[in-house]
Amino acid sequence: MTSYPVGLTRDLAENRVMRAQAGGVDMVVWRNSKGALAAWNNRCPHRGMRLSHGFVRGDRLACLYHGWHYGQNGQCAYVPAHPELDPPASIKTQTYAVSEVAGVIWVAPTDAQEAIETPAIAAGLEPLRSITASASEAAITTASLQTAFSGSDLPQAGANGLLHLGERQIALICNQIDATSTQVHVLIDASAALSDRRAVSRWCDALRRAAETMTEESA
Amino acid sequence: MSLDYARNDWYAVALAGHMGPGITRNTQLLGTPIRISGTADAPRVTDDTGAERPAVIRYDHVWTTLGDTPRPLFDITEADEPDRRFVPCGAVRVRCSPLRAVENFLDIAHFPFVHTDILGAEPHTEVAPYKVEIRDDVDEVWATQIGFYQPQAAKSATEAITTQYEYRVPAPTSAVLYKTCPPRPEAWDVIAIFVQPVSPEECIVWPWMALIDETSHFADLVQFQQEIFLQDRSILENQLPVRLPLDPRMEIPTRSDMTSVAYRRWLKKKGAFYGALTEAA
Repeated sequence: MTSYPVGLTRDLAENRVMRAQAGGVDMVVWRNSKGALAAWNNRCPHRGMRLSHGFVRGDRLACLYHGWHYGQNGQCAYVPAHPELDPPASIKTQTYAVSEVAGVIWVAPTDAQEAIETPAIAAGLEPLRSITASASEAAITTASLQTAFSGSDLPQAGANGLLHLGERQIALICNQIDATSTQVHVLIDASAALSDRRAVSRWCDALRRAAETMTEESA
Repeated sequence: MSLDYARNDWYAVALAGHMGPGITRNTQLLGTPIRISGTADAPRVTDDTGAERPAVIRYDHVWTTLGDTPRPLFDITEADEPDRRFVPCGAVRVRCSPLRAVENFLDIAHFPFVHTDILGAEPHTEVAPYKVEIRDDVDEVWATQIGFYQPQAAKSATEAITTQYEYRVPAPTSAVLYKTCPPRPEAWDVIAIFVQPVSPEECIVWPWMALIDETSHFADLVQFQQEIFLQDRSILENQLPVRLPLDPRMEIPTRSDMTSVAYRRWLKKKGAFYGALTEAA
């Protein structure tokens, strides 16, 4: 099952919640206090509230609307309006497969029990930053080869999806959200110095502008 | 099809206090552009063909209907009591189904989470059993014998009290709440919402109050209610699907949702489907 890179591991701390888009599916991704991740349909089974507005309490995700608690397995565990009630098994969120590879959170809109496949990523890379561009993934890819690094050389495509920016090696992990919106997670070789990371980060901003211009002109 | 029922109801579309010579308001009702003009004594509503629609002033608002055989506008008897303060609270535009806006108004279980420290507070989250009925003689939904712990039940409340509530749904897009009046516990404060369906997925909520409160400033009363409705809006614009699902398999209620369950059943029975989702998505 195709998986989608929806965020960076370090951007989702313990007890935090985020919204994710994966192949047209609106999801909530959250992490409990022990570091475990869960990805669900972004909808409380009670009254349809987006769970990404919820909050983590006691290793459960609570819906903002009525405070219903859901455990890691998506099962409703507590209904505040009826504290004595043992919630029926039918009250359960739609759960999806989620994993973390190379510091990136990957989800797949398939059953949580299924194995998740992630693309091969060259060893030795770590996350630099994420950007969201008003552009398609194709425009990002094209623009990445046409945007000069540090004002001089054009990047060169290498093996395993690597992109060479001068001495540095990076990978662009894309999650296209719709026709004109794409999340890009930028990985960089772990040995890069701070000054190089800053230079690549500035290049990312130029890449975004180039991809967005390309998308606007083709619209 | 869903329009047939809705066209023959009345809707609040403007504040009476905002009418005056030279003032027009352009808005939309049930997908139809309308224009409100005239004065509070002689209001005028015209539709996009220029045709005159009925226009009456009631509960400090201009009401109109797009139907040829409208059902009568419901009565709120407290509107005629001389010792009450009438407080139209303005308009809150919400990107949600008009029916979701009404259903949220009928719900008390969300108070501790959405209106924290005002209409509710943890750990006082429990909703005790209450009574719900569809009164066939008047064709209204009523929920009675509701009690709920509230840190600040109203602008006039000086301490937390267990507020008594009664809810009444006299029309698919209007709801009236009768609640304990903090300064005079034997009487009821009246808070209503009149929801103008702009489209099936967008509405304008016109809250209106008939209070027993001789001391609060008008602006403070409006401010108190506006804050509540803005908190509700953050919920209403994040419910999926946007339209209210009438298929009971789509959303799972619990005991505290008896009013919502009766409301949905009542809409379904009447065929009041504007803003509803009638089949499982």
